[in-house]
Amino acid sequence: FRFKESLAEDLQSAELVISHAGAGSCLETLEKGKPLIVVINDKLMDNHQLELAKQLHRDGCVLYCNCSTLVETLQSMDLSALKPFPAGQPEKFASFLDKVFGLQ
Amino acid sequence: TGGHTTEILRLLSCLSESYSPRHYVLADSDKMSEAKICSFEQKRAETFSKSQFTLDRIPRSREVRQSWISSVVTTLNSIFFSLPLTYKRKPDLILCNGPGTCVPVCLSAFLLGLLRIKRTIIVYVESICRVETLSLSGKILYYFSDYFIVQWPELKKKYPKSVYLGRIV
Repeated sequence: FRFKESLAEDLQSAELVISHAGAGSCLETLEKGKPLIVVINDKLMDNHQLELAKQLHRDGCVLYCNCSTLVETLQSMDLSALKPFPAGQPEKFASFLDKVFGLQ
Repeated sequence: TGGHTTEILRLLSCLSESYSPRHYVLADSDKMSEAKICSFEQKRAETFSKSQFTLDRIPRSREVRQSWISSVVTTLNSIFFSLPLTYKRKPDLILCNGPGTCVPVCLSAFLLGLLRIKRTIIVYVESICRVETLSLSGKILYYFSDYFIVQWPELKKKYPKSVYLGRIV
């Protein structure tokens, strides 16, 4: 398929996700606790995407490769070494704003 | 747009009803955010019955990778629309997270503040995608916002006036 409104169902039933480095794709996958291989498109070179993918890789949460090394990565991957991705905490933001407006 | 909308709705998820009514401003070219916002607000109305929100559209300030000079022109055009809108809504708080659309709105509010018409607190939360560098909106609004929030420690180091709360989306 080209575009779906939500990938939530597909993600839920997947055992491994291979994705581009878009933040939405990465975060949605990691939050569902699915192992993720991020493929960087060398030709697109959107720094925006690279920053988050690199950080997630540094944190040990994703595997990382480019189009030409994908097969090799799939052959040699160790998914059990991937670390879980802790959830963000919007409550901290709410708390911060409440302090700003003296609502606490 | 897309990712920005998802992030901002997550930021809103834990806010109390003191932050009401909520006025959403979208780019006219944005087709998907409206549905996400309505869905969010509908769920919210299930818990907070008096919950209110509005939705307005302004021309998109800038396309991805649009040149500097034409960006200034298109942003000025957006300000032409965002200024009367901001004047009409007179928000106490503007919360934004990086799409080009937020720049004219924040600049309008800043201007209304300078003219002593309305003092709005501008809170900018840089996207979680931004680990090492700021977006263009971020680079501009770092100087115009009251609170500039980053989600990764490297950015806090580079931009000392920012606030670091860890990952909040």
